[in-house]
Amino acid sequence: MLLQQLINGLTLGSVYALIALGYTMVYGIIELINFAHGEIYMLGAYMGIVTFGLLSTLHLISPDSVVALLLMMVVAMLFCGACGVTMERVAYRPLRGASRLSPLISALGVSIFLQNFVMLAQGPRDKGFPNLFAGGGIDLPGARISAIQIFIMATSVMMMIGLQLLVHRTKIGKAMRATAQDMQMACMVGINVDRVISVTFLVGSILAGVAGILVGMYYGLINFFIGYIAGIKAFTAAVLGGIGKIQGAMLGGLLLGLIESLGAGYISSEYKDVFAFAILIVVLIFRPSGLLGEDISKRV
Amino acid sequence: MRWSQVWFLIAGVVIVLGTGKVPEADAMKLGVAGPLTGDQGAFGQEIKNGTLIAVEEWNAKGGLLGKKIEIVWGDDQHDPKQAVAVANKFVNEGVVGVIGHFNSSCSIPASTIYHDGKVIQITPASTNPQFTERGLWNVFRACGRDDQQGSVAAAFIVKKLRKSRVAVLHDKTTYGQGLADETVKALERTKVKPVYYGGITQGDKDYRPVLTAVKQKNPEVLFYGGIHPEAILLTKQMRELGMKAAFVSGDGVWQKEYIEIAGKAAEGAFVTFTPDQMKIKEAHGVIRRHKEKFGSDVGAYTVYSYVAANILLDAIAATKSTEGTKIADHIRKTKWNTALGTIQFDKKGDVLVSPYVVWEVRDGKFVELP
Repeated sequence: MLLQQLINGLTLGSVYALIALGYTMVYGIIELINFAHGEIYMLGAYMGIVTFGLLSTLHLISPDSVVALLLMMVVAMLFCGACGVTMERVAYRPLRGASRLSPLISALGVSIFLQNFVMLAQGPRDKGFPNLFAGGGIDLPGARISAIQIFIMATSVMMMIGLQLLVHRTKIGKAMRATAQDMQMACMVGINVDRVISVTFLVGSILAGVAGILVGMYYGLINFFIGYIAGIKAFTAAVLGGIGKIQGAMLGGLLLGLIESLGAGYISSEYKDVFAFAILIVVLIFRPSGLLGEDISKRV
Repeated sequence: MRWSQVWFLIAGVVIVLGTGKVPEADAMKLGVAGPLTGDQGAFGQEIKNGTLIAVEEWNAKGGLLGKKIEIVWGDDQHDPKQAVAVANKFVNEGVVGVIGHFNSSCSIPASTIYHDGKVIQITPASTNPQFTERGLWNVFRACGRDDQQGSVAAAFIVKKLRKSRVAVLHDKTTYGQGLADETVKALERTKVKPVYYGGITQGDKDYRPVLTAVKQKNPEVLFYGGIHPEAILLTKQMRELGMKAAFVSGDGVWQKEYIEIAGKAAEGAFVTFTPDQMKIKEAHGVIRRHKEKFGSDVGAYTVYSYVAANILLDAIAATKSTEGTKIADHIRKTKWNTALGTIQFDKKGDVLVSPYVVWEVRDGKFVELP
């Protein structure tokens, strides 16, 4: 049972981590908690279904094939990336320099708009998501790891490695780090800050789009409301790990998944969320800037 | 005046003219409440469509007591706090009666407000016993009760399936936990003690952790008190974890989405619900009109909503009064011929006969078991 719960927890945790990365990257650069980030994840899941539907009606390629899966992911990534950039352009950039509350309210507005838009466009009812990995899996002694779980963990790890390379090995990554450290200074040395912020939103939204597809397949059911809860959990993960820190979001996500899973399995499923938030409170009491967050006094 | 101000003024006038509906003079206001939007919006649609058809028919016949009937919508988003706000709004607007709410957790707190405002409330779908057990004169329910439903489920598990290792899960709502508790009570009367009892959180998507714990107890049956979105996930995920236990649940799961989305995993699941509405001659009319108007089949509680609206409007027409107590007396002492057959209410406001039966999912359809 322990092994099974660990597998469950790690799968869930890697998805939380993927979404949390988007929160943390945006916060790291413009100190905005982008409440609409969960909605981007929801849009990713819907784009997956739409693509799948198109493929099945057009009969171009078999909707059960690997190509179809890749196509679904690519379409969702492109769409979510575009959405993220548009969102930043329309709702946050005009408010740059305004008080910190204004973009926060704007973010809530975007979130409500996207939720209701999808509800009206796609209907309020749950939609089934095709599981292209149905049935497959590996039986371990006392546990079972299904093909979709392997796929989720593998994809998440790949995306995270990709992100690390992007941030630490490329020019734009350097510009991102510079902007996060000091926006004014970055501006002075010739970094196009607006572009860096757009890229941050692009990357975060792409990760959220991938998470949407993964979760859609894992649970087999989506609705226009899934972004809300996923957003809150991922935000918790980001804060737990230290908001603004990329490794923090990964650690926070995995930890949160494991805590929820073990708490629900061994103590009580009714208080699953209570454990997660209780741990968050305890961590914040002893380390106010999160597990990997830097000491604020040092920065000053 | 600057141009921007002129534009502002024009925009304001346009908005007011565009959205501000001129209230119809002297219309009969009927309150209809349920989760019209939000993640349970699908249930709200059932109440909405059922009452819409009923009111259209009445208005086509010339309205009620010489006035047109106008529906006032109340969206409670299955949130008890919202439900109370909706109830206050209805009472203040002077509705002649309320059809709703959908969720027991909303109907119960709202009913006290309606009681104080002397407004009749007929719920088409809230099955928790507490709704009518608190001695309120203004409440009625067109559907059955969870203690009846729970007994049917328990008898089915023990006598038909002949299973005794039962795990029980619920969604912690008034309806879900209520149904689970009533089923547990009925099971314990036959000396069957659940091997596992626990709650899950509505809106979660991953129940593998709790299912893994349930699996350790080797249950032969998993009973779930709750509604279909969670039931779909539970069914799929328990099969994925290799659990063989039979899945048994209540009326909240009798939804076509359950089968459509859970697919093969749903085969062989059992659900308690009222008998097949297609077999009731009187229901054919409303089912056909629903198909014409909305292009889809009726949901579990669409016809109930239609019936509830008709009973209320009929009672107002018969008593020629909008006084709550008079209407309530009339509803209580009349034998109603409705789209669901004959209905009679007892003192508390429950229907006298509520025949719950067991349905099974076979080949992608709900099939009523004999």
